[in-house]
Amino acid sequence: MKVSLNWVKEYLDFELPPVDELAERIGAQLGAVEEVEDLGAKYNGVVIVRVVECDPLENSDHLHRCLVDDGGKVQGVERQANGLVQVLTGAPNVHKDMWAVWLAPGVTVPESAGKEPFVLESRNMRGSVSHGMLASPRELALGDGHEGLLELDGDSIKPGDDFAEAYKLNDYIIDIENKMFTHRPDCFGILGVAREIAGILGHQFTSPDWYINGLQDMLQADGTSLPLEVHNELPTLVPRFVAIPLSNIEVKPSPFWLQSYLLRCGVRPISNVVDVTNYIMLLTGQPMHAYDYDKVKAVSGGDTATVVVRYPHSGEKITLLNGKEIQPREEAIMIATDKALLGVGGIMGGGATEVGAGTKNIILEVATFDMYSVRRTSMTHGLFTDAVTRFNKGQSPLQNVEVAGRAVQLLSELASASVAGSLIDNNHVGEQSRERRWVHPPVPVTTDFINSRLGLQLTAADIQKLLGDVECSVTADDDRLLVQAPFWRTDIETREDVVEEAGRLYGFDKLPLELPKRSIKPAAKDTTLELKNRLRTRLAKAGANEILTYSFVHSDLIKRVGQNPENAFQVSNALSPDLQYYRLSLMPSLLDKVHLNIKAGYDAFALFELGKTHFVGEMDAQDPELPNEDNQVALVVAYGDKRQPVGAAYYQACKYLEGLIDPHSLELTSLADFDLTKDAWGKELTAPYEPSRSAVIVKDGQIWGVVGEFKASVRRALKLPVYAAGFELHLDAINFSTAARYLPLPRFPTVWQDLTLKVTAEKSYAEVRGFVHRALEANAPHDTLIRLDDVGIYQAKGDQAHKNITFRVRITGQNRTLTDKEVSRVVEAIAGAAQKDLAAEWA
Amino acid sequence: MNYQNPKVQETAELLKGRFAELTSKSDILKAAELRALYGEIPTLPVDRRGVFGKELNDLRAELQEMVDEAGEQAEALPPIDLTAPFDVNVSVDERPTLLPSETGTKHPLMTELELVLDIFYRMGFMALESREIDDDFHMFGSLNFPEDHPARDDYDTFMTTQTDLNGKQLIAPAHTSTMQNRVLQAHKGNLEKGEPIAVLLPGRVFRNEDLDARHEHTFYQFEGVYVDKGIHAGNLLATFKTFLGEYYQQDIEIKSQPFYFPFTEPSFELALSCPFCQKKGCHVCSYTGWIELLGMGMIHPNVLRDGGIDSEVYTGFAWGCGLERLVMMKYGIEDIRHFESGKLNFLRQFA
Repeated sequence: MKVSLNWVKEYLDFELPPVDELAERIGAQLGAVEEVEDLGAKYNGVVIVRVVECDPLENSDHLHRCLVDDGGKVQGVERQANGLVQVLTGAPNVHKDMWAVWLAPGVTVPESAGKEPFVLESRNMRGSVSHGMLASPRELALGDGHEGLLELDGDSIKPGDDFAEAYKLNDYIIDIENKMFTHRPDCFGILGVAREIAGILGHQFTSPDWYINGLQDMLQADGTSLPLEVHNELPTLVPRFVAIPLSNIEVKPSPFWLQSYLLRCGVRPISNVVDVTNYIMLLTGQPMHAYDYDKVKAVSGGDTATVVVRYPHSGEKITLLNGKEIQPREEAIMIATDKALLGVGGIMGGGATEVGAGTKNIILEVATFDMYSVRRTSMTHGLFTDAVTRFNKGQSPLQNVEVAGRAVQLLSELASASVAGSLIDNNHVGEQSRERRWVHPPVPVTTDFINSRLGLQLTAADIQKLLGDVECSVTADDDRLLVQAPFWRTDIETREDVVEEAGRLYGFDKLPLELPKRSIKPAAKDTTLELKNRLRTRLAKAGANEILTYSFVHSDLIKRVGQNPENAFQVSNALSPDLQYYRLSLMPSLLDKVHLNIKAGYDAFALFELGKTHFVGEMDAQDPELPNEDNQVALVVAYGDKRQPVGAAYYQACKYLEGLIDPHSLELTSLADFDLTKDAWGKELTAPYEPSRSAVIVKDGQIWGVVGEFKASVRRALKLPVYAAGFELHLDAINFSTAARYLPLPRFPTVWQDLTLKVTAEKSYAEVRGFVHRALEANAPHDTLIRLDDVGIYQAKGDQAHKNITFRVRITGQNRTLTDKEVSRVVEAIAGAAQKDLAAEWA
Repeated sequence: MNYQNPKVQETAELLKGRFAELTSKSDILKAAELRALYGEIPTLPVDRRGVFGKELNDLRAELQEMVDEAGEQAEALPPIDLTAPFDVNVSVDERPTLLPSETGTKHPLMTELELVLDIFYRMGFMALESREIDDDFHMFGSLNFPEDHPARDDYDTFMTTQTDLNGKQLIAPAHTSTMQNRVLQAHKGNLEKGEPIAVLLPGRVFRNEDLDARHEHTFYQFEGVYVDKGIHAGNLLATFKTFLGEYYQQDIEIKSQPFYFPFTEPSFELALSCPFCQKKGCHVCSYTGWIELLGMGMIHPNVLRDGGIDSEVYTGFAWGCGLERLVMMKYGIEDIRHFESGKLNFLRQFA
């Protein structure tokens, strides 16, 4: 919201502090100031001149030689004998007796100010000297116009007048963040902001009389009668529709003083009629619209212009002022006739009834549209206008007639408008439901209520003054207050609203900074967050790098790893195609980050992530109305092909997994052997993994995780190296205990011996090891501690049918030193059993 | 798979037979017989084209599947003994080991979150992670955002195709405030026992915007919620000031600006005195001495009521603070996109 400080000052009767201090106060008590622009600085030395002589320049097909009168104001410039200054211009609209803006030598072109300043000088052109230049609107940073000079009307200016001062361009533009005003429709007008500035500076604000009491005189019919009717079929959505016909209109550019108001606030001047409606909108926050009366009458098909407020008929279309044709949504508020659409209510008028050069008569509309409906229509059709910005905040319908009066007054001055019929006030404000009540009943509140929420000790009188300054009426009975907000304050409805208002006007920066009091009871730490902290500490200690990747993935990634997107929550409105689905598991996102790191020169790394995954149809146990969120941990370890270690990557991934889970509490089952047909979640989880080189982690018959290598297709699609493996695990499966398990230190030495068994290649290691361990338990002397270590697995080149497995058997006496012989006997017994039961050879 | 059309069935059998002998398996998809069948479509009566075309496409898909499967098998590595601790014929020195501890890192955002959590634990807050998928009620309704309210425009929310029980699209939360109603409901019993509700809610949030060096569609926030008897706006400012002082290990000044959030009243935006230059002016604070950091406010009575709390008796405050900014300022990280890039040359700097 761009606020012109000069405009604000017109409504204040006291001196403002310096602009820096004011901006600081606005920031602290009204809303964040995004920028303060010193507009006046751009126009240093820019003066108004009268073109006294203007002749085509010899040797040129387009330049004119002008002699301009600056009242002798500019110093140090070469003058003719008569005191005039020669300036050349190529602008086609230059003419004798024109009032123009002169940029004298030494003056910076306003358009270039603050960028790369361009300072003018006297310059020779085709044999003649031009002292500076006459300026176009664009060169003056006042809009896009550059096809001709800015032409001023000569009223109340004289040669040599300071341009900025004459048109109030010696201004500061304070840009206040719109978000702050989401609930403050009044602050989308200069009047509202001026009122707030008075309030935060401790001064009484008084709204102009026309805004409160209206301009009844202006609204009396005094010209040709133009028959007009309004039918409002949507009184709930359009609580008030004020319209008045005006005749005798002369459409032309508005005087520059009026254009200046618009330009300072960033609105492009169009014509006197449109500019007046915009001026009033910028001042009061109330958008309005002017229709060409005769065009409306023509589409009404009779002797009367009949405006109907209604929904669009099926299939109806409208071409808008911006040239775009739309078929409005079914519940859009339309301004129309019975036969045709004229405009989208509160958003944009239609091209067919636009006010243009030939317009003689107009209908001025000052209506109120439902903020929610306007917002929805605006979003549906992508129409964002200044009117939408204001209507979707909920402008009060109690200002329409007053605002219309002021607009008519200006139109009669600037467009010679005459009132051509009585004002139509289609008013349903009194019929509104409780939810949409426009004037809230007075709010009863106590000073104690206010003070306890702010930590202050304000008296009733303090509060009366704070709120009274912004025209709230506050009656006090001891510490009981009754606060009646003015009609434009649609936001003050509850006691908390009054607290906010009092606190803000008092100054939140003056609140006492006191910590809440609490007991010394320790706060419980969250177990999930704590588990995550422990996991990341553990994995980082194991040389892995934690990464974070997006919760959303591209459908390509899902498909490449063989998952089914139908099980994933689909994002319906992402701007980027990379964000189509919630991820089904973490691993695809991790795999997606492997190649880029190998390419960056990393040839051995492990990436892990702790994140959430979602699965359509799986609901939260605690909150069954919402999707379940699975907390997962995943890790991938990868070595570049140049540094590929010996053996399968699977075993490396297992190494990392062993750090997180107690291998005895979970069961590892070959993925190839596990029946996934009934486990849709497990199917998606394991989709990227190669079944013959992966195992699922099973607990109580259910899949909780997977560890393994990846399918050839996945490796190819994601450019993974051959040596890559990983795991993904549900956090609920993780059970590493914090308490270490302690065994007393042995007092007697350990005796060990290796045992190598030759078994058939198909026999699983676990089977052999399990057998050996049980045999060791059975054969070791009862007063000993035993341990079995894995030493090696060897397969002879010539014999792929067998393998040799070597274990180290370690036995420690609890009360005595064991002899080698005793240990040998145990090993022999194990070997013997293995020969018998496993058909193993003792090698 | 069996095909209704005898011609298609015949071709299917022929091609499947040929497939086994092909060296380049994908050549089967270019078979002249298949092409010929496709060529027949335009010659058929219009009402038969659909069925015939569908059968042909099914056949093509079946052949494609066979090609893929063959490719998978050709490149597949041999099966391994999944129950072994290491591979066959791998010497002791070559066995898998963990990577050296020095290369390991935690993600800088998570390290920072641990630090923030630790401070708030010490200040007596509980913690709960925020959801990544939520419903309209928690994201908006319970936070005093009416339907179609323009305040919703400030949150460019991602929606899912899937809907909740009320037929409303599910939402990727745009703020951790999506958890407020839950924690109020869950802990309102505290208040009757004379204890406050004090919860920190960290988590991922999402905004549907285009990426650039300063904007991410995915980022982290930590929400604070505190409710008790007699809590006032000064308590809120003091609490966050205390956190900032502990976090930056120095005395921090704060400055509040009025703001608008539907779920707090009054609402503020808080700026802190620049901890990197002590207000002297530096590039972090753009030479203003102040850093605008977060939004906060007194919890709106409607939000308390929706949370089952008597707003006549209890008042409270809440804030939502972004995590990335804190970390970016701390280390001078120039581009927010690095956080989720998965790049080791970024991550390994935070050892």
